[in-house]
Amino acid sequence: MGKPFIRIVGLKKHFEMGGQTVRALDGVDVEIEAGTFTVVMGPSGSGKSTLLYLLGGLDRPTSGEIAIEGERLDQMDENALALFRRRAMGFVFQSFNLVTSMTALENVAFPMQFAGVAAASRRERALGLLNQVGLANRADHRPSELSGGQQQRVAIARALVNNPKLVLADEPTGNLDTTSGSAIMHVLSDLHKAGRTVLVVTHDPRMTRFATHKIHLLDGHIVTEAEYEAAALEAMQVE
Amino acid sequence: MKFLDLVRLVAGNLSRRKARVALTAIGVVIGTAAVVILVSLAIGLQQSANEQLYGIGDLTQIQVSPSYGGEGGPVVSVGGGGGGGGFPASDEVKLLTNSVLEEFRAIPGVESVIPREYLMSGALMKFQKMESYVNIIGIGTDDIADLGDSAEQGTTELGRGRIVIGVTVPQSFYDPYLRPGQEPSPPPELFDQQVQMVVIKYDSNGNEIRKNVALRVTGVLAETRGESDWTVYMPLEQVKQLNEWSQNRRFNYNKDGYGMVIVKVGDVDKVIEIADQITAMGFQAFTPQSFLEGINNFFIVLQIIFGGVGAIALLVAAIGIANTMAMSILERTKEIGLMKAVGATNRDVLAIFLGEAAGIGFLGGLGGVIIGWLASQGINVLAMVYLANQASEQGGAPPSIAVSTPLWLPIFALVFSTLVGMFSGLYPALRAATMIPVLALKYE
Repeated sequence: MGKPFIRIVGLKKHFEMGGQTVRALDGVDVEIEAGTFTVVMGPSGSGKSTLLYLLGGLDRPTSGEIAIEGERLDQMDENALALFRRRAMGFVFQSFNLVTSMTALENVAFPMQFAGVAAASRRERALGLLNQVGLANRADHRPSELSGGQQQRVAIARALVNNPKLVLADEPTGNLDTTSGSAIMHVLSDLHKAGRTVLVVTHDPRMTRFATHKIHLLDGHIVTEAEYEAAALEAMQVE
Repeated sequence: MKFLDLVRLVAGNLSRRKARVALTAIGVVIGTAAVVILVSLAIGLQQSANEQLYGIGDLTQIQVSPSYGGEGGPVVSVGGGGGGGGFPASDEVKLLTNSVLEEFRAIPGVESVIPREYLMSGALMKFQKMESYVNIIGIGTDDIADLGDSAEQGTTELGRGRIVIGVTVPQSFYDPYLRPGQEPSPPPELFDQQVQMVVIKYDSNGNEIRKNVALRVTGVLAETRGESDWTVYMPLEQVKQLNEWSQNRRFNYNKDGYGMVIVKVGDVDKVIEIADQITAMGFQAFTPQSFLEGINNFFIVLQIIFGGVGAIALLVAAIGIANTMAMSILERTKEIGLMKAVGATNRDVLAIFLGEAAGIGFLGGLGGVIIGWLASQGINVLAMVYLANQASEQGGAPPSIAVSTPLWLPIFALVFSTLVGMFSGLYPALRAATMIPVLALKYE
């Protein structure tokens, strides 16, 4: 048996807030195989976003191990993490995070500047990706001239621009209406079908239709689906 | 990240905040323009001063005279201390005797030691119907070229009955019998002419006794804008004899010493050192160089002070840049988070924000250099008109320049303003570079 693509062991993330220690993640163990579509479910405050950011190397764990293809993120310095993100990660955010002064094309090409790709090939690759998400005709539009769903598709194209092994999406449909939301889900599902490893953090249950694996988080711990359902039911009864 | 991409990105980031960048850069414009104008002014002042002082003398000459007590306090104290003989300087003055001249000649670096003596009585020089009271110096060398002078006409060599004159000497000749309303004669052409010199002394009863000396002008010196221009040079021996006749006493240079000695130094850089050495021997040594050096030091201080005033304006501008950059970084925190998420290293982020700060400094510097240069030219024109009027009222030549901007100044100002921009952006840029990506992304 080969090494798993992602291996997380005893992962903890604690931080101080108002004099109290918040245990955002409190001992999480997960293994994720390459080429899977994993959906992380959980109510707000369950630590699911924290997990995604730790996995993406945007935050440092309090303790525990994170390894992607055997590379230990928890042992890398900031520079190595930045280079790792550049090489292996694509991020999709709830609020799209496009640079408002840049066109769709420039936004998609932006990460390649840091990788030192030549201007001509940056443009070519960005146009190809915009075409792939169905926005080739919007290449010269600025984010303010695009709908939410279109902006998120630009963001997905940007996430793919360095050909990452892992695409991480944090509530990608959270700011979108139902129709645009499902369109984005289909785009992400297509990425998975094309062979990429995708991990989506969401509390939108519709996303689970596309998932090959599900992770449920409650109060910083991984729980089974049954436990998760029970807790959700309990919460509804309290209300 | 490639440098060209960085420049393009920085330019793009600056151009999307045009108003703010322009307002911040105005501070730099003012500061840089102030530096350029004020330093140009100081340099212009120095140049016109040097122009006026030009011809103050040959820089390789040291004029040495006996250090008479009471004259020039510091010289006396140095003479007393350095003389070392234990005698009070005011009682016994060290004289420039021939043996002292030999000591001077022994100083390493000294090329020649030439004594000189003024004619101690009045001397009227006559040529045809014109005459002039002239400044006569006897010089202890056969060739005035030893002093660094060259001939415009004829020779620089001296001999008994032969004189070499400065270029403006003929202009002092006038016709004493000129009637009112009559056109004055032009200056006489004295070269290769016989002139009469009348030396005058008075006996104990106050009767005037005249002595005529026939002299031939064998050379006219080239213009130096210094003493030699209005001086008539004669051999030292002849001046000595005339002095002995007019003073009714004999001079013994081994005992009485010379009035003044010119020490000529081979290397300009050694002049001050040798002058100090002579001062330490108990003589008064004057070199035009030490004088010029003092003046130049003054102008360097002036440049620094003027530059400093401009630098204060730049400092205020720098605070403006720091403020703008700090604001900008707050506003763009999410963008910084995004840059880091897509693979920008801390260094990339630092370079981008330092680049933006340097860009503001550069743009302001460019504007300041252009405005400063234009203003300098304007001041120059106005000042030249004013100074020319002044000069014509008071007599004398007007300076040819008031404000001077050497090429290095705008280049320096531009580099400096860019560095000021970069430096003021350092703290904000470091803060941006070291942001924790997840906190930056979640910043609202």
